[in-house]
Amino acid sequence: MSLQQLNSTRFEEIIYDNCEPCLVIFSKKECHVCKEVVPMLEELKPQYDGKFGFYYVDVEEDKELFQRFSLKGVPQILFFNNGEYQGKLAGKVEEESVEEKISEVLGV
Amino acid sequence: MKRSALTQKLLVLGVDGMDPRITRKFLAEGKMPNLQKFIERGSAREDLRLLGAIPTITPPCWTTLATGAYPGTHGITCYWRQSPESLDAVVYNMDSRNCTAEQIWNITAEAGLKTLVWHWPGSSWPPTSHSENLSVVDGTQPGSVNMGVAQLDWEKVIVASPEIKEVRYAPRVDKPAGVGCIITDLEDSLDADVDDEMMELWWGDTARQGGEIRTFVMDDEDTEVVIGSKVAYDIVNSPLKDATGWANAPEGAKEFTILTSGGVMRRPALILKNEAGEYDRVAIYKNKKAEAPIVTLERDKMVSGIIDDVTKKEVTKPACRSMKILELDPVGNKVRLWISNALDIANDQLWHPKTLFSEIVENVGVVPPVSLIGGEDAELVGEIFEPSWVQYNQWQADCMNYCINKKGYEVVFSHLHNIDCAGHQLWHLGKTLSPWDHTDEVTYQGFIEKFYIQTDDYLGEFMHLLDEGWTVLVLSDHGLIVGENVPPIIGEYGGLNTKVMEELGYTVMKKDENGNSIREVDWEKTRAVQIRSNYIYINLKGRDEHGIVDPKDKYDLEEQIISDLYNYRDDRTGKRVIGICLRNKDAVLIGANGPECGDIFFSVEEGYNRLHGDSISTSEGYFETSVSPIFVAAGNGIKPGFTTDRTIRQVDVAPSVSVLLGLRYPAQCEGAPIYQIFSEDV
Repeated sequence: MSLQQLNSTRFEEIIYDNCEPCLVIFSKKECHVCKEVVPMLEELKPQYDGKFGFYYVDVEEDKELFQRFSLKGVPQILFFNNGEYQGKLAGKVEEESVEEKISEVLGV
Repeated sequence: MKRSALTQKLLVLGVDGMDPRITRKFLAEGKMPNLQKFIERGSAREDLRLLGAIPTITPPCWTTLATGAYPGTHGITCYWRQSPESLDAVVYNMDSRNCTAEQIWNITAEAGLKTLVWHWPGSSWPPTSHSENLSVVDGTQPGSVNMGVAQLDWEKVIVASPEIKEVRYAPRVDKPAGVGCIITDLEDSLDADVDDEMMELWWGDTARQGGEIRTFVMDDEDTEVVIGSKVAYDIVNSPLKDATGWANAPEGAKEFTILTSGGVMRRPALILKNEAGEYDRVAIYKNKKAEAPIVTLERDKMVSGIIDDVTKKEVTKPACRSMKILELDPVGNKVRLWISNALDIANDQLWHPKTLFSEIVENVGVVPPVSLIGGEDAELVGEIFEPSWVQYNQWQADCMNYCINKKGYEVVFSHLHNIDCAGHQLWHLGKTLSPWDHTDEVTYQGFIEKFYIQTDDYLGEFMHLLDEGWTVLVLSDHGLIVGENVPPIIGEYGGLNTKVMEELGYTVMKKDENGNSIREVDWEKTRAVQIRSNYIYINLKGRDEHGIVDPKDKYDLEEQIISDLYNYRDDRTGKRVIGICLRNKDAVLIGANGPECGDIFFSVEEGYNRLHGDSISTSEGYFETSVSPIFVAAGNGIKPGFTTDRTIRQVDVAPSVSVLLGLRYPAQCEGAPIYQIFSEDV
């Protein structure tokens, strides 16, 4: 299931106004590692339907968001809950690490 | 040896950078009534001067005050000391373990007097006595308590207006004075190398572990007055729009967004209307679902003690911040807000005993942050920088009075940094010289006055002690001058000064493909370097890693360097800029000799010297300023209403404390008690 893209306005709404527990992967079309990590997240997404959101930001389209979080390089997966930043995972990450981090964020 | 005490309780009120010459100007104008009372009830010289130790640099002078020994004797000879590994690097020096002279507070504590050493930036931390009577708070940097170790986030200015379409964040922007805080081109405004770790590098854990600091002062742009007066902070831009999606937003409120913690923490905020329908307050929330705000700010009021979570390096901690509205359009079309740096509210690593930290927090309050932005931006100086120090001064006075009144401390050695901190950012703007002719000297002279007035208020917080049997010494390490000229590139305390030494042919820097000097010394061609405030080192074979000068040629080379320095002329005025030059063995005359004082000691001549540090302590500057420190004593054991002609030296303070308290002298003390001002013959 493909990830929903966020621009800066949608980012504000989803992360901060709705305070949704979710992850956002910051990625780039031409990035090889992103091409591995994004499908992994797409595969994982259905398991968390209704409990945890999965989104992506294209850093070339939304540079401000990338800079705002002082990120260096892609891919980076940022986690949020209740409008609060909950940490990030960088680079080529395994499915287990993402699941672990989601459990931590959800407090289960 | 037994001597009877002249007092049982003694407070040293140290004010970093307090200059007796300009103090006398403000006293004459009636602007320092509290100090006037201390003078009338105590003793001082007519000119209020203390003869400062050399170099006129903060840690050496505070260490001299604490030990009664000259810098060449106590070994703290500049802000930093020379790296044992390389001639072009320095290492941390605000470490009591580098001090080779005994501190007076160890004597008072070991004699059974409950002693507090509060933020004394010279050989106070870590504590050097095991006496349970000794308490020490910080002292690892000159700024403010916990500044070096508890910073979690930088200062920010937030601008919100309906025209701004999306939230933008630019970290550590050097903003030219007079330019609004609107981010027009984010890529241009971002410094590729955002230096978030300056505090750590200079004063934090890395520094204390002996990390080398390699700084090159090559031209005017590298000097601390230019760097210090640049205004660098995080800028956040946000849309300002009708509040939507809030659990509890008042009628008519408009929302905007604040980002903290390097951009990862977001706080929604509202501007609020008063009964007349004008926007006059800002409320900041944890999130939109929160029922109550973290803080509600009113116009013209700086609020401190605001506790909020801050994330640094993926760790989230509660921190203390101050905030103030800079501008709020009554009809709700613009808001500008300043938020301070954030201090970790639980960091007690520089408190001994640690229980003192929790008691202070509980009974006085958390450590308030001070602002470090202002410089050439007069609005920020007036609205933020100066008032943030007023708040800090009050907190510090409350802490010390709490310790005195409730905790039974009998001897207190204290340090406040307000004047020196402001001096390093602003004093050079007190005379309009060509590099900063976009500023107005009268405005900045007004700021100098404001800092002296707030200092007088601080001193007033301790006036009651004169009626409670205490002796109070008001003193400083050095003054600061408003420069008559732009200083030459020699004598800057922060690093390796290359320009003059390159021109004279002693230091050779490596060159890029265009023949321009790069920031790397060519050791194969360098015969000598000038590093820190006043020291020149010969690049000596057998001693220095890349030494090229044969020891048998050292004496003649020193003579040649001294001659060349005396003959060096300022390219703007054609005048001599070097004051005195002494070989290491001869510098014993001014107490600046020994292994930490280089092969040659030199000073910069009056008129060409910078703020303080590079000149001798008797130098004077523009706007009735001087490099001299101040000394006033009052209370038990001190003659009231007495003026002395005695030259009072910085080394005389510690032995005078010994006499006043009836204790022995510090082991390496080279000064003598100021017996002329004592109420009894001793």
